[in-house]
Amino acid sequence: MIRLERINRSFVVGGETVHALRDIDLEMAAGDYLSIMGPSGSGKSTLLNILGLLDQPNSGRYFLQGTETTALNETEQAVARRDHIGFVFQSFHLIPRLTAAQNIELPLMLAGVEPTERTERVAAVLEQLGLGDRARHRPDQLSGGQRQRVAIARATIMQPALLLADEPTGNLDKHSGDEVVQTLEQLNSRGITLVVVTHDPEIGGRASRRIRMVDGAIDPGHPLTGSG
Amino acid sequence: MRLNDAFGFGLRALTGARSRTWLMLLAMAIGVASVVVLTALGEGARRFVANEFSSLGSHLVIVIPGKVETTGDTPPLVGGTPRDVTLEDALALERSSAIQRIAPLVLGAAPVSYRQLERDITVMGSTAELMPIRNLELARGKFLPETDPTRESAVTVIGDKLKKELFGNRRAIGEWVRIHDRRFRVIGILKPLGESLGMDIGDIAVIPVASAQSLFNTEGLFRILVQAEGREAVPRARQAVIDIIRQRHDDEEDITVITQDALLSTFDDIFRSLTYTVAGIASISLAVAGILIMNVMLVAVSQRTAEIGLLKALGGRRGEILSLFLIEAGLLSVAGSTIGLMVAYGGVWLMGRIYPDFPLLIPLWSLGAALGISLATGLLFGILPARHAARLDPVVALAGR
Ligand SMILES: Nc1ncnc2c1ncn2[C@@H]1O[C@H](COP(=O)(O)OP(=O)(O)OP(=O)(O)O)[C@@H](O)[C@H]1O
Ligand SMILES: [Mg+2]
Repeated sequence: MIRLERINRSFVVGGETVHALRDIDLEMAAGDYLSIMGPSGSGKSTLLNILGLLDQPNSGRYFLQGTETTALNETEQAVARRDHIGFVFQSFHLIPRLTAAQNIELPLMLAGVEPTERTERVAAVLEQLGLGDRARHRPDQLSGGQRQRVAIARATIMQPALLLADEPTGNLDKHSGDEVVQTLEQLNSRGITLVVVTHDPEIGGRASRRIRMVDGAIDPGHPLTGSG
Repeated sequence: MRLNDAFGFGLRALTGARSRTWLMLLAMAIGVASVVVLTALGEGARRFVANEFSSLGSHLVIVIPGKVETTGDTPPLVGGTPRDVTLEDALALERSSAIQRIAPLVLGAAPVSYRQLERDITVMGSTAELMPIRNLELARGKFLPETDPTRESAVTVIGDKLKKELFGNRRAIGEWVRIHDRRFRVIGILKPLGESLGMDIGDIAVIPVASAQSLFNTEGLFRILVQAEGREAVPRARQAVIDIIRQRHDDEEDITVITQDALLSTFDDIFRSLTYTVAGIASISLAVAGILIMNVMLVAVSQRTAEIGLLKALGGRRGEILSLFLIEAGLLSVAGSTIGLMVAYGGVWLMGRIYPDFPLLIPLWSLGAALGISLATGLLFGILPARHAARLDPVVALAGR
């Protein structure tokens, strides 16, 4: 489902080139559960952004469901994000003035789905995530764990094939973090391809596949790296 | 994305940032209100002057002997000196259905004396019709009698200043005065009216036109004052005057016809351009409002960078982000100008209450212009921030960098 071939990504900062990703090769099948670990600045987020079509590699090829995404233009990439990819961020990125339901509704709205259908789908997903009584609450009226679950609901409302989470538990206590991980794993068990970037070895260790990044490359010698 | 969703999103964004929204609404409202109120004032001034004019003497057409060439530099050789406009010419004008009444005028300077007192004054020969045409009023006595204008009659109506100078506080009606070498009996005294047609009405003596003709030994009239049947009849009256006189003058148009409308329309033009100028100046405040909207929207975009990054991550296309922010700016403009219009109407209504004589009116074009300009500035100045938003790099935006 996903194939990365010799992906390179570098940034030029103040005349110096930072190689955030070096010759990344990665292959994933549909339904995989992958965790990415590694020290700060090793390129985890950059890899995730490229997987999510938010960022473009300087070289290399990226195939998503058989399409070479590097050949798509900006608008086509936006549509691909909308229809196939869901994001979960460390800082939730909920729009503060909108209620939980309205936040979850956003991707459907952007996709031009009928209002009545939207309401139904939002209600269903809220129920599924145990947030049925929080639909009309704004983010500041929710706990951290609830906010992240609202964000997960938003990421999955379009029923994407790929769910990308960048340190989804980074801003949460242990208990809510576990809840969020369980929610993500539940979605994975229903077939969604899940990629989680994390610093927490316990969470990273739960994934069936784990990779460790060091200095922009996948560390081949690491015992955690390999297919599970 | 659906249009009503985009509007809903924009509306929620505006209501979500109250103080920012109020600030921009205020700016827009002030701009629109000032355009509308100032044009109403300008338009009011124009109408005020127009009203004053029509009360001055209504639907007047003035006939002057001789053709005043306004174009061409060589005076016509043939024809020589123009023919006199005679009393018969004047009376012939009464035939036209467009003409309500006429007053022939003969003007001359002559000494007027009573006992030992003598004054050099302007003597005006006319008919009874002069009074309604010039809106004259009498302080005492009667005006010229309505008799055959071709008949001489030894009566005179004098101005109040002349009366004071000749008679002092004594009774003047019924007394005989000498004008040049003839005697006239005073039958009326004019009320002071100030300047009228460039003449001091207090310092004149009005006598029957035929008497004036023989007094000054002239056939020709100085002017004919023609009153049209109504405002709409003025052009027809003017044409009738030209036609009738030309017919009587062997097909030669040797008169000049001035309508009061020409004068009025000059003033009209002046005040109209004044209104436009004022409206233009007021539009600057609209432009200022537009710039304010631009700045505040730019701040909004930078405050909402993360939101824009999110929308992009969720699959929002560049065009969609652009239209979201443009719609926000457009909504602001429309709401702001609506408030501005309400303020303007309220203000104009209030001023109408305070100064009921001043004919304030909001011209329709100013409404259209104010709304159009505010929407245009809102969108124009909205484009820059919106484009800025649409072009943000999603990764950078999400990171809030
Ligand atoms: N937009 C950018 N401009 C310049 N340099 C960048 C940019 N994004 C990432 N980098 C650099 O690329 C490298 C990898 O960054 P990345 O964010 O992928 O690290 P990370 O593994 O996610 O780290 P962390 O665990 O701290 O989130 C870093 O050296 C970072 O400074
Ligand atoms: Mg990171």
